[in-house]
Amino acid sequence: MTTPAEGKRSISVPATVDELAKVRAFVRDSVSRFGGSKRVADDLAHAVDEATCNVMLHGYRGKAGDVEIEAAVRDRRIEIRILDRGPIFDPTTAQVPAPGAIPAPTRPGGMGVGIQLLRTLTDEVHHSARPDGGNELTLVRSIDGRHEED
Amino acid sequence: MAMTIDVERLGGTTPVTVIALAGELDASNYEQVIDVARNAYADGSRGLVLDLEHLTFMASSGLFALHSAVRIMRGETPPDAEEGWGALHQMAQDHDAQASSVRLAAAQEPIARVLERTGMLRLFALDGTRAEAVAALQGA
Repeated sequence: MTTPAEGKRSISVPATVDELAKVRAFVRDSVSRFGGSKRVADDLAHAVDEATCNVMLHGYRGKAGDVEIEAAVRDRRIEIRILDRGPIFDPTTAQVPAPGAIPAPTRPGGMGVGIQLLRTLTDEVHHSARPDGGNELTLVRSIDGRHEED
Repeated sequence: MAMTIDVERLGGTTPVTVIALAGELDASNYEQVIDVARNAYADGSRGLVLDLEHLTFMASSGLFALHSAVRIMRGETPPDAEEGWGALHQMAQDHDAQASSVRLAAAQEPIARVLERTGMLRLFALDGTRAEAVAALQGA
């Protein structure tokens, strides 16, 4: 059974990497309010950092714009939505190195390690193009521990 | 949280620079780390210790900075932003982490996890303390 999302929170920041610290703090605070562990907060803050950084550097490419981050919990799953108005880019289908492969951060904040991390740090990643332009990326992570953390 | 960088130059037969990072290393400040590594090499340092005891977060841009530091201390140019993966694979193949002139000290658990997840531990020796890292580089 699906319950309605609880305690939905959001922030909007200008699309510049100087705002990433604020975005991470927002995610950590949200996870904590939802009752998630520090580990879940760390992982989600990192995943959101990589996804948001991609939007800022490779979506907006220095152009003015905003990124909106929404956080909610539903059925003990934390959902973080990242909304932008940049060109369509789907990180769920981008080619990335296999987990644990040779380091490939060939471009800071670029495709590759960042996308690999955002996948491994979450349980699910969903992308959709917004009808009125831009991307909606949803990162999902169970509030409870995962097998690797046992 | 911003990041602070504290640099200490040590003498000895192998001049070593210790770079202590505190706070959060991300896309807004990773270039500062590359600049410090470049200056250290230019000033004659042939060993680098990155003291991560007070670093609480490292994004993929931080991994890029660490990788750049390895290249700089090998007397090579840092990786070009548009460079492909071929050079990195080559580098990993001929690289011995234990013999690296760049050592990471006192990494906290979240940082160590990121390094492990991304395969970066193949490029770096990880030491428990700053003193151990310095000793390893200076052959003490």
